[in-house]
Amino acid sequence: MIRIENLHKRFGDVRAVDGVSFGAADGQVTGLLGPNGAGKTTTLRMLYTLMLPDEGQILVDGIDAVVDPQGARFAMGVLPDQSGLYPRLTAREHIEYFGELQGVTGADLRSRTDQLLTMLDMTAIADRRVAGFSHGERTKTALARAIVHNPKNVLLDEPTNGLDVMSTRAVREIIRRLKEEGHTVLFSSHVMQEVSALCDTIVVIARGRIVGSGSSDDLRLQTGQENLEDAFVALTGFEAAGMPS
Amino acid sequence: MIVVVRKELRDWSRDGRSIITVLISSLLAPGLIFFLFNNMAERQRSVEDVTIPVVGAANAPAFVDWLRQQAGVIVTEGPTDAEEAVRTRREDAIVVIPQDFVKNFSASKPAQIRLVADSSSQNSRPKVQRVRGLLQRYNAEIGSLRLIARGISPAVATAVQIEDIEVSSSQQRAAQILGFIPLFVMISAFTGAMAISTDSTAGERERGSFEALLVNPAPRIAIAAGKWLAGSLTGMLTVLITAGLLFAMFKQLPLQDLGIRFRLGTPELIRTLSVVLPLCPLIVAIQMYVATFAKSFKEAQSYLSFLMMAQMVPGMMATMNIMSTKAWMYYVPWIGQQTLLSDVLGNKPISPVVFLIVAVINLTVAVAVLRGTSGLLHREKIIFGR
Repeated sequence: MIRIENLHKRFGDVRAVDGVSFGAADGQVTGLLGPNGAGKTTTLRMLYTLMLPDEGQILVDGIDAVVDPQGARFAMGVLPDQSGLYPRLTAREHIEYFGELQGVTGADLRSRTDQLLTMLDMTAIADRRVAGFSHGERTKTALARAIVHNPKNVLLDEPTNGLDVMSTRAVREIIRRLKEEGHTVLFSSHVMQEVSALCDTIVVIARGRIVGSGSSDDLRLQTGQENLEDAFVALTGFEAAGMPS
Repeated sequence: MIVVVRKELRDWSRDGRSIITVLISSLLAPGLIFFLFNNMAERQRSVEDVTIPVVGAANAPAFVDWLRQQAGVIVTEGPTDAEEAVRTRREDAIVVIPQDFVKNFSASKPAQIRLVADSSSQNSRPKVQRVRGLLQRYNAEIGSLRLIARGISPAVATAVQIEDIEVSSSQQRAAQILGFIPLFVMISAFTGAMAISTDSTAGERERGSFEALLVNPAPRIAIAAGKWLAGSLTGMLTVLITAGLLFAMFKQLPLQDLGIRFRLGTPELIRTLSVVLPLCPLIVAIQMYVATFAKSFKEAQSYLSFLMMAQMVPGMMATMNIMSTKAWMYYVPWIGQQTLLSDVLGNKPISPVVFLIVAVINLTVAVAVLRGTSGLLHREKIIFGR
């Protein structure tokens, strides 16, 4: 469970995040929807403790992430904005390395790694070096290493960005599965269809502020628009819908 | 921490290019020294045993007999075209005796002997000098005999006596090259560790993998320490290889031909290693600290090459004897190792306490720098700045 209260972060004169509050419940998928530059990544970075907020509170399963970042990190699995891989290691070694860093070892680690590789349909490429991987294969590797320790809270920053249809489906499948298993899933996206297809709750963010939240029905009702895209446009105040990626 | 060490070492062991760099750099120094020494010894020997081709030996049998009696001299029949033979470098120096030699010699007139040589050829110079010296000695001997025959002391004919005091002997040149050994060993520590120091810091930034790595609950200091340990291990490995090769090579070198009384055995090897190995962790710590500021691998490498130059300055100065050894030098990292190593190779007695103190100082500074690096990993600009 994640709870964010009145989060602020500024870079120089730019208020990147300006009073953001929202929650993400267990067993639910929460989508952070917003155009590029809205403050999604900055919000997530503060949430996964690599950035210090200027103001505000972050609670991850009741742990204050600002006071005890170490403890909060134990409760999270993160696919960050920059998910670089080590070209000379294989997919399996990536997953095992992060597992060991999270404290998963021995037979547990091996079975969990195999499970993830099967789930993401990666068994054929598991022992190849990632240097030759496609974008989809890289993202799947990064996703697998992020959730190798079976974290209660899963944070994904634009997980399907730039993926082909097959990889997108694999990622969506994982998100559904995590939800069924009772995890808290929070992911950011600027793609409408993605969010509406997966999320129980949608949080719309623009210019560092929350401009709307609720289920997609709630949002339509709130804005009086027939479809989500129009609702999104109305909320963010942008002329063109479906911002360019 | 061990997890990080294992990953970095595995990553490194698959990086063919950096391993080849390490191998080449550790082979380079011993190879270079081996070549230089062999070359010098070769030249020294070739001067001592000189073969002199003589054209027209029949024109001055007495002179040729005298030549043959000199130690280390072998007289051979010279080629018909002496000048051509020297020009094409088939011979270094040829003595040509003209037909009128005996006539002038008997009449006590200056009898000509031609020495054909090529002064533009560096290699033949010592040999030509040797032959010229022999000729001059013959000249002096005969001249003295003639003066004595006429009842005059040969000393009268010697107005000035030149005494050669050679300061730059080949022994000294050899000693100079030996002085570079500490530098070579220490540079190998630097190059050996460089791959991991840059790849695990600037490399992580360039690939954008820092963010994912630091999201893990492992403390930053453990992550930094793991990378540091892995780097130190490769640095030490390189030092071991380089020093081992250097010492193995010294067993093969014809040092006695150069008249060098120089002993490099297992005790010297152990002392050298006990000086340089504790330096490796410090080098790696500094390299990592500097490389963490770099956004890319290339940027890091250019920073580090500056660092390497800076590190070489005191070594160079010590080698060229600009600085004399002072007590404080032992306790300054890098300079201390340099000074200690010269002492080890110069067979000066050193107390083991000094080794210990130097090692402790190095490790302390290394840990301090490592803490600094770990602190850098908290900076948002470092984590996210690409």
